[in-house]
Amino acid sequence: MPELILGSEMMQLIIALILVTTFMILGSKRLYSCVRAFSIQSLLLACVAGIVAYSTGKIDIYIVAFLTLIIKAAIIPYIFLYIIREIKVKKEVELYVNISPSLIIGGVLFVISYYLIKSIHILSELSSLSLSASMSLVSIGLFIMISRKKALMQMLGILIMENGLFLGAISLTYGMPLLVELGIFFDVLIGVLIMGILIFRINRTFESIDTDMLKTLVG
Amino acid sequence: MIEYLLLAPLLTSILCAFTKNRKQVETVSIAGSITTLGLGLVLVYKVFRYGPIVSWENSLFADAFSAYIVLIVSLVGFVASMYSIGYMGHEFNHGTMDIKKLRLYYILYHLFMFTMLLVGVTNNLGLWIAIEMTTLVSALLMILYSKKSSIEAAWKYMVICTVGITFALFGTILTYYAAVKILGETGDALNWTSLIAVADQFDPTIMKLAFIFILIGYGTKAGLAPMHTWLPDAHSEAPTPVSALLSGVLLNCAMYGIIRFYTIATASTGTAFTSNLLIIFGLLSLGIAVPFIILQEDYKRLLAYSSVEHMGIIAIGIGFGGTFGILGAILHMFNHAMTKSLMFFAVGNVLLKHETKKISKVSGIVKSMPVTGTMLILGGLAITGSPPFSIFISEFTILASGFSQGHIVSSVLLLLFIIIIFAGFFNHISNMAFGIPKPGIISGEMSRWTLGAMGILIVFVLILGIYIPTFFYDMLMQVVEIVR
Repeated sequence: MPELILGSEMMQLIIALILVTTFMILGSKRLYSCVRAFSIQSLLLACVAGIVAYSTGKIDIYIVAFLTLIIKAAIIPYIFLYIIREIKVKKEVELYVNISPSLIIGGVLFVISYYLIKSIHILSELSSLSLSASMSLVSIGLFIMISRKKALMQMLGILIMENGLFLGAISLTYGMPLLVELGIFFDVLIGVLIMGILIFRINRTFESIDTDMLKTLVG
Repeated sequence: MIEYLLLAPLLTSILCAFTKNRKQVETVSIAGSITTLGLGLVLVYKVFRYGPIVSWENSLFADAFSAYIVLIVSLVGFVASMYSIGYMGHEFNHGTMDIKKLRLYYILYHLFMFTMLLVGVTNNLGLWIAIEMTTLVSALLMILYSKKSSIEAAWKYMVICTVGITFALFGTILTYYAAVKILGETGDALNWTSLIAVADQFDPTIMKLAFIFILIGYGTKAGLAPMHTWLPDAHSEAPTPVSALLSGVLLNCAMYGIIRFYTIATASTGTAFTSNLLIIFGLLSLGIAVPFIILQEDYKRLLAYSSVEHMGIIAIGIGFGGTFGILGAILHMFNHAMTKSLMFFAVGNVLLKHETKKISKVSGIVKSMPVTGTMLILGGLAITGSPPFSIFISEFTILASGFSQGHIVSSVLLLLFIIIIFAGFFNHISNMAFGIPKPGIISGEMSRWTLGAMGILIVFVLILGIYIPTFFYDMLMQVVEIVR
């Protein structure tokens, strides 16, 4: 039964779209479009949770889907936009690794994740698809963190990783117990707020949010 | 019982927000931390006397190991809150902080205590949530000083630890997946109590993967190399009482997470896999700490790297396993917490007086501040594992267990690293402690609060080095039973 839900074509389509949004973030030079793509990605995640909730009929998962929609697709992107507006940051992403190599690396990471997850034989064919999508989100999120200069993009990278884990959790186990899920949402939200505060501080102290500036503490 | 313990720091934190001046906020803070310590001791007593406590529909839980963590957190938390009065008071008098910042400091301080206690008493893999909360609160404590370097440190800390903790979450999800297969989808499938009962039936492949992610994830937070890069920055840039909490207590909390998972994973994968990983990461941590300690120029960073070293030793102790390996590691957690806090308090006083963190710009502490200087030397001897101090006992226990169980190569390496670090570390300490005080330094101690705090800690360092009281030994053995 569980396999049926995850294997449904609807689900496959959504997971594919989630991957597309990740590559949109990788391939974008503008901060706004990155935030928009992230918001769409979270919306799609909420859909995944919604479908799982619908097919299992569990209220817990409905709540999780709803929270994903509110917190990740609306509130967090709003916080991003607020920060971008308030600190009047240049609207460009600024990269260490250019767009086209970034996209290629993203593709490679996806292929690696796919074969890595496939090699775990205990997983069924179908949940391994969503799990490999989850793995690629985690690894691409990590790559975004190290290949982009702006502190804002590091924050976005962490959130993409978190989305990847959410996808993994929901496809492996239909999400964790509600109390734990709520705790994770709470932490993510507070984490974003505190990183926001830090970014304001960085901007005020260094008059820039390039992480290039943050390289004095060594040894 | 557990809820009262958690409520105490939370209430203190809220009360601090309503205080008007320095006197009030300090009174509230010290009263709060005494209450927390008192409740913590009651909890410890109850658990060791009458067995595990469960409350709040199974979501809070304290067995001997949790109680042990609660003991460390509340004890160091209390002492550091004493020290805070002296240290932060000095900063306040010198205009580094205004009343708003001072109040914020104490609010966050008790919130930080709350999150660390929560790590100990969560009956659940949701431990993750509590550990992430500690990161969030302590990052805010770090940026109290709006210096460039503290903001840089806080940002690194936040980013690296959040990424690390994300991996730990993945490990947690995998463990849950393994558990759901056996237990079915109940809310209980994440609870220690239900997990440990069926852990031997978990799929070993999944548990291996899970343990790797957990070790990397919580290992980042525990400062195991090579994920330790944030640690020296964070621990040196935080206000000194917070540095003591970060090094002495928070690292232990993350270690606690690793050890809990170690127990579950070992039941399924067998000892060899988990132990070897712990030994490898442990030795790596010591090895990386060596050059940084020898060539260090900043005394707070020196202590931070020494924390990397000691977390490595704890990991190795658990990795050696057996009753004595684990006993040594568990005891080491306590000893390191006490000694490292003592050291941070001592160098905190040095920092207040000299206003520099450079080792080369400090000398003659014994002359200018006799008590602090003595503490610095005693603490320096203790932290590097010389007899007759407490850390010697735990390091010796770990080494003995390593040799007796045939981990010859790793034990020899461990011994070698400890000896080199002793030489390197104590060289720096003696340069600071002896000699003629730098010109312009006025002799005299810092506030009595700071001396009192160090006085309490040195008692533990000295007594546990000579003899372990029976009740404490019984406590340790109960913890060992749980971990094994």
